[in-house]
Amino acid sequence: MNVVLRRIRNWLDVPSDDPDDARRRKLLNIILAGFIVLCILLLLTLLIWLQFTKPSNEWSADEKILFWSTAGLLLTSILLFVANRLVRGWSASGLFIVFMIIGISFADQPEQLVTGRSLFLFTIPIFLASMLLPSWTAFIAALLDMAILAILARQLQNFPLSSLFPTYIGLAFISLLAWLSARGVEISLRDLRRLNIELDQRVADRTRELSASLARERIEAGRSIAILESITDGVIVFDIHGKAIVVNPATTQLLNLPRDQVINSSISDLTRSKGLDANNRSILGDLLTNPGQQPASYRLHWGKKTFSVSSAQVFDTEETPIGTVAIFRDYTHEAEIEKMKDTILATVSHELRTPLNAILGHVEMLKEAVYGPINERQARASERVISNTHRLLDIVSDLLDQAQIQAGKMSLKIHPFKPNDLLDNVLGLMFKTAADKHLALTGEIEPELPEILIGDLRRLQQILVNLVNNALKFTEKGSVHIRLFCPDRKHWAMEVQDTGMGIPEDEQEHIFDPFRQVDNSMTRKYAGFGLGLSIVNQLVALMGGDVAVKSTVGVGSVFTVTFPIVQTGGIQHE
Amino acid sequence: MSDLAYVIEDDEDLSTIFSEALMAANYEVETIVNGLTAHQRLKEGTPHLVLLDLHLPGLSGDELLNQIHADKRLQKTIVVIATADARLGDAYRDSADYILIKPISFTQLRDLTLRLHSRHDKD
Repeated sequence: MNVVLRRIRNWLDVPSDDPDDARRRKLLNIILAGFIVLCILLLLTLLIWLQFTKPSNEWSADEKILFWSTAGLLLTSILLFVANRLVRGWSASGLFIVFMIIGISFADQPEQLVTGRSLFLFTIPIFLASMLLPSWTAFIAALLDMAILAILARQLQNFPLSSLFPTYIGLAFISLLAWLSARGVEISLRDLRRLNIELDQRVADRTRELSASLARERIEAGRSIAILESITDGVIVFDIHGKAIVVNPATTQLLNLPRDQVINSSISDLTRSKGLDANNRSILGDLLTNPGQQPASYRLHWGKKTFSVSSAQVFDTEETPIGTVAIFRDYTHEAEIEKMKDTILATVSHELRTPLNAILGHVEMLKEAVYGPINERQARASERVISNTHRLLDIVSDLLDQAQIQAGKMSLKIHPFKPNDLLDNVLGLMFKTAADKHLALTGEIEPELPEILIGDLRRLQQILVNLVNNALKFTEKGSVHIRLFCPDRKHWAMEVQDTGMGIPEDEQEHIFDPFRQVDNSMTRKYAGFGLGLSIVNQLVALMGGDVAVKSTVGVGSVFTVTFPIVQTGGIQHE
Repeated sequence: MSDLAYVIEDDEDLSTIFSEALMAANYEVETIVNGLTAHQRLKEGTPHLVLLDLHLPGLSGDELLNQIHADKRLQKTIVVIATADARLGDAYRDSADYILIKPISFTQLRDLTLRLHSRHDKD
């Protein structure tokens, strides 16, 4: 059934780019198809009826006319149908309307057509024209009707043409109505089509956007994969159940494990790999099961390699954790260098200090008259050697301290101590240096400072000695003053104030850089490497304190080191 | 009377200086430059004071320390460690009487040992 309907629809449809043209020609096809069916039925009925009523085959003139006119109509309809399918535009419809008007003019007696029962037939071409042709052709059809009516009226006797006037008015009115209604349909259809086009456009736009964003996403994903594939760090992503779901090529290369063995394996499978000892196994396991802990990365020894491993939780866009990512960075080379640095540190420490110690010892023995009495000039020369050897030893110590701090090897020995001892020690150590330069070195402890503080006394002393040394070095006359006090209830501070040359403001931020003095040319005048303040800064940072400088050129400088006060109850006394 | 002191130090200069300092403090000094010799001499003698370098050829200062602590004869022996490494010095705080960080001054060592020796003489 559907096949038949579809076949009929295909017959009636007219292929055309212009939707109005297609609509009109389809309508004509429907009408013509109707005519064709009607004509066939009429002809069949006529033939059957004549077969039964007129066996002698003698048809009356009316019957012949009816038969042939129906046959003619059938033929015309078929021809028009074919023409309508083949020829684009109005030609078939135009012909159809013309034929229809001519046909109507023969449909009844002229009298009936002009004034009587068949006059209404002339309205049909007007309506059909408005629908099958552009709507304004309703007026053309009306004009044609009028012309035909005029011709017919002339054949009638006693019928003045002026009597057609009311008919004409009627036809004009009807054509106006037909035009208006057809025009209305045309406009609504056009609006509908425009809406459809807009809708199609919107759909097309959206489709284009979607495909563009899909393409973008694909490019992004491709890029991420390319990055993952090409970076030299090993990356493993575990899902929320601890199963490895992403493993990049660097991982398999670094860990020397085939990719198939790592992908889909669990965290415990990975920690059971060969090359990991029990300690490193537990570090890795802990790192992967509790990601995002401090410190951010661990050194992991895996076979002959050392890795810096870090882990982090992976979150989706809703901030829900969906797994863990672990990064393995090959740290073997750096670890070797670190080890070498340590060895060099220890060697330098030993190899530099030992001969210096020998020099110091031998000269001391000379001076102490171990090898017999010496005169005053020899004693003075010995003293110069001793003091210069001490200076050299101080520089070596500074360099080693600096190296140790930078290598992260400096550890603090935290004990309770008396601020009094700290000040006395420093004053005792620095007294001679100050006196040599004829500078006053004074110290005070403000009463609100606790009698016992907690910290690394040796390193605090080193900080203060370095600051005082620095102050003495850059002060030509006046004084250096040490003050221990509490800036607030939670902090204590050490302050060293001098009446020296001061530090220009733009240099103040650099004074804590290693190997730097305010003016490089001054290094020659003022002995030292410029390491003292750098060590102060780093030691203070190591102790969780803060160092600040206030200075006016020509007036002097004030260095203040502030530390949080640690409650004695929190620390075990040794 | 003078007491016995061992100076166990492989550096020739330092062992001279240390020995001189100890002699200035009225010790009878025996200089030992090798770990194995030190091990042997510690078995034989009963020094009042041992000045021990931790970096030694033959046997390490560590092992000599263990030997001293294990030997009842040497219970009263004063152990002074001499090291260049301040970190190492901290680690031996409990196993030695004194830890001296190099550079060690002649006068510093002389004054210290003089004090130790005279205290012993008073006992």
